[in-house]
Amino acid sequence: MTTTFESLKAGDGIDGPAFAVSRESIRLFCDASLDYNPLHLDDDYMKGNFGKTNFGGVIMHGMNNFGLISRMITDWAYPAGAVHRRLETRWVKPVRPGDTIQPHGVVKSKQVTKNSRWVLIDVMVRNQAGEKVATGEAMVEFPQD
Amino acid sequence: MAETEAFETDFWKDANLRKAWDDIVPGAPRKTIPYTLTRQAIELYCRSVGEDHPIYFDEAYARTTRYRGLIAPPSIHILLMFSCTPADDWMRSPGTVNAGQSWSYNIPARAGDVITLQARALDKFIKRERLFVVHDNVFFNQRGEVICSGRGWTIRPE
Repeated sequence: MTTTFESLKAGDGIDGPAFAVSRESIRLFCDASLDYNPLHLDDDYMKGNFGKTNFGGVIMHGMNNFGLISRMITDWAYPAGAVHRRLETRWVKPVRPGDTIQPHGVVKSKQVTKNSRWVLIDVMVRNQAGEKVATGEAMVEFPQD
Repeated sequence: MAETEAFETDFWKDANLRKAWDDIVPGAPRKTIPYTLTRQAIELYCRSVGEDHPIYFDEAYARTTRYRGLIAPPSIHILLMFSCTPADDWMRSPGTVNAGQSWSYNIPARAGDVITLQARALDKFIKRERLFVVHDNVFFNQRGEVICSGRGWTIRPE
């Protein structure tokens, strides 16, 4: 069933595809984003402390989460003729090679403004243990045309 | 892809040239460089996050959509942040930890766009003994149209 602004209601769920995190996927994200921070590449460097934090090994880019959430939102919006307009995220837990993560969204509210119609979506990414690794909010426009 | 070949992937190399938290002045513009987005760069980015929608790959399909042609995914700004900044930009400082970002999208970026960035540190603060900087960014295409704008919170290396 095609999603329409009228049919959407608070609590409706959106699932993105699972994503297997590996050293190779992290390296590919380095090449694709040009972000070669040693946080994502250098095991020796990651043995050290970052202030009060010790990650214990290389971690996935936080923005990889962002890219997966954005993909979920656009894949959901395009068939409905809707437009992904905003995404805000916070990283709450590091993601490591071997983890499998999956984005999920829940429609929070709808709003009509002078020129358009908007849907607010709570988004999160969970790991294989069900722990939230990222949370945030997306805003999708359903144009009147 | 000339831009990628010229890109310094060893982030330690120019580490001593980059501003530390103490040196970053909120409000001061960051140096930026124009970048020509390519179809190869878009496709590589898509592969890295599993983007497989035909609007990014299939010209004939893309022409039938509201965008009238191929576009880049909205989150292409993840690449643009590094492609539009020089090697001594403090976003490359090893140990920079991303705490979160928010982005608003106006029009899509496309292959062939010459993209420019206006960027600055907007704020810096200390929270729970961690050194934070808020960065503020707007990407434009060659017609001066806003592609997207965003803000990020990073924890700076000490």
